[in-house]
Amino acid sequence: MDKRESLWEAYLKRGFSRRSFLKGCVALTSLMGLSTDMLSKVVEAAETKPLPVVVWIHGHECTGCDESFIRSASPLASDIVLTNIALEYDHLLSAACGAPFEAHLDEVINKHNGQYILAVEGAVATKDSGVYCMSGGHTFTHLLSKAAKGAAAIIAYGSCAAYGGIQAASPNPTGSAGISNFVGGKPVVNVPGCPPIPEVMTGVVMHVALFGTVPPLDGDGRPKQFYGNRIHDTCYRRPFFDAGMFAETYDDAGSKAGWCLYKLGCRGPETYNSCGNLRWWQGMSYPIQSGAACIGCSNKNFWDEAPFSDRLPKYGKLGDADKIGVGLGVLTAAGVGAHAVASIIQRNRRDNLMEEEHKD
Amino acid sequence: MKSVKDVERKEYYLFSPFLRIFHWIMASQIVILFVTGLLITKPMNVATTEPTFSITSMDLVRDIHFTAAFIFCVAFILRIYGFIINKGDRLFPRFWEGHFYSETVDVALHYMLLKPHHAPFLRNPLARMSYAGLYVLVAIEILTGFAMYFMTSPSTTGGILFGWVNTILGSEMMTHYVHHYVAWFIILFAIGHLYMVIRAEFMEGESEVSSMFSGKKVLAHTPKDANELE
Ligand code: SF4
Ligand code: SF4
Repeated sequence: MDKRESLWEAYLKRGFSRRSFLKGCVALTSLMGLSTDMLSKVVEAAETKPLPVVVWIHGHECTGCDESFIRSASPLASDIVLTNIALEYDHLLSAACGAPFEAHLDEVINKHNGQYILAVEGAVATKDSGVYCMSGGHTFTHLLSKAAKGAAAIIAYGSCAAYGGIQAASPNPTGSAGISNFVGGKPVVNVPGCPPIPEVMTGVVMHVALFGTVPPLDGDGRPKQFYGNRIHDTCYRRPFFDAGMFAETYDDAGSKAGWCLYKLGCRGPETYNSCGNLRWWQGMSYPIQSGAACIGCSNKNFWDEAPFSDRLPKYGKLGDADKIGVGLGVLTAAGVGAHAVASIIQRNRRDNLMEEEHKD
Repeated sequence: MKSVKDVERKEYYLFSPFLRIFHWIMASQIVILFVTGLLITKPMNVATTEPTFSITSMDLVRDIHFTAAFIFCVAFILRIYGFIINKGDRLFPRFWEGHFYSETVDVALHYMLLKPHHAPFLRNPLARMSYAGLYVLVAIEILTGFAMYFMTSPSTTGGILFGWVNTILGSEMMTHYVHHYVAWFIILFAIGHLYMVIRAEFMEGESEVSSMFSGKKVLAHTPKDANELE
């Protein structure tokens, strides 16, 4: 592909109507979380911007994010891959393999130096020089820094690439970490989630593709339009929370009535994601709607914050902080009581001594 | 036997009204904050037939918690004002003075029941250290509290001012944990504090309890830190 075509040209080539092109642009605009005023800008960009080259690499992970990505409905993942972006290299979706495939990567990196979007899925395995995650005969760290060098923008898809993910859970035997320290200081767009919502994944790459800039990010590098709210603040069960109506177990009346899952350990109050408003599978549902407490899968360190079914961690037989706190309180009270008795005895002795001295 | 009552004593004016009012606001708000905080972590079971009207409403409990927190924070203005206008309000442990350390050991030995008495102080160095410790705990509560509170909209001023706390602690859930655990330490401090002042009041007759109402302390011997009031 020498002259890179724009989205409009791609549509033309495939015989799509102007109408369906504009419809696609409307869908894209709302998906990227932009206001409808921006529609003309989106159309303009789609008409003129050449399709962006995307290199998509995979590290230490389960490829679940890809499973999510290919289920994106608007835009359809197939549309993205086949018409909206030029996906030049992808471990999972490419038909090619072996040495020619690796050679192709080098070719793409050199040819589009400074222009391609690098999408990274999966963590970096840092222990023992990175041998726990190899790709094409090299460590993933090597591949990552090579691909990051000429990238125009880097997107970290999933909690693994953003923060290390499940394999970084204590004791983290492979020394897994997020990619941000291994891309030569380039800024990274974090799209956490285990996996991220499909439309969030496609929305972010399309934003970069059409505008050539990264979307507005929060302090943690996450796109504000998708990670600007806590699930708790967008959750449709919130009125039950406010009223104090909680499911106590997964099979009680409250659970069946769809009450708030807070007491079952719901992490909605500290999780930033679009589950509450975008939801999953074309807005069909999301975990809380299906009756499962949120586990905070888009949070840093969520994997070490067990138990997911409780608000406070438990310390074996000692119980949780409240139980230990009451125990310590009783112990302290008993301690000061004993101290008081001992102090009184000591004072009486002191006073007696002083009196005797007076007599002498 | 001579009682603590018939010893001759001298009166020292120590605490400004601002410190005293602040102290009682702090004490009452800590109780409210602690009880509502426990209820927020583990909400009560809905007891009435129509939960919306029950007083265990999470919304109400949270509102009480937040209001108490704001009153507490605003009350610090009194503390700071008292600190500025009145020397007796300045209770920071004097780490920079050499005798601080020997005096600390002296007082500690007494409290460990190894010495029958310790030198007289208006504010003994151990008490001063425990107050400094309490302020550290309170500061952690305020920081973590606002870090959770303002995150309903992370890009507003409050979110930007306090959001970094969540980043430093690693995750917002950790902020919840820290907030909860430190609350328990404050309660443990309160138990010890209550005991120590009652002990000083009734055993040494040093009018510890009443000083938080009248601002005055009466001591039999010239306290070592009396010069701080000049
Ligand atoms: S189910 Fe979870 S996210 Fe929804 S209101 Fe309850 S605690 Fe918040
Ligand atoms: S509800 Fe929570 S755990 Fe479930 S997908 Fe959304 S962020 Fe992840």
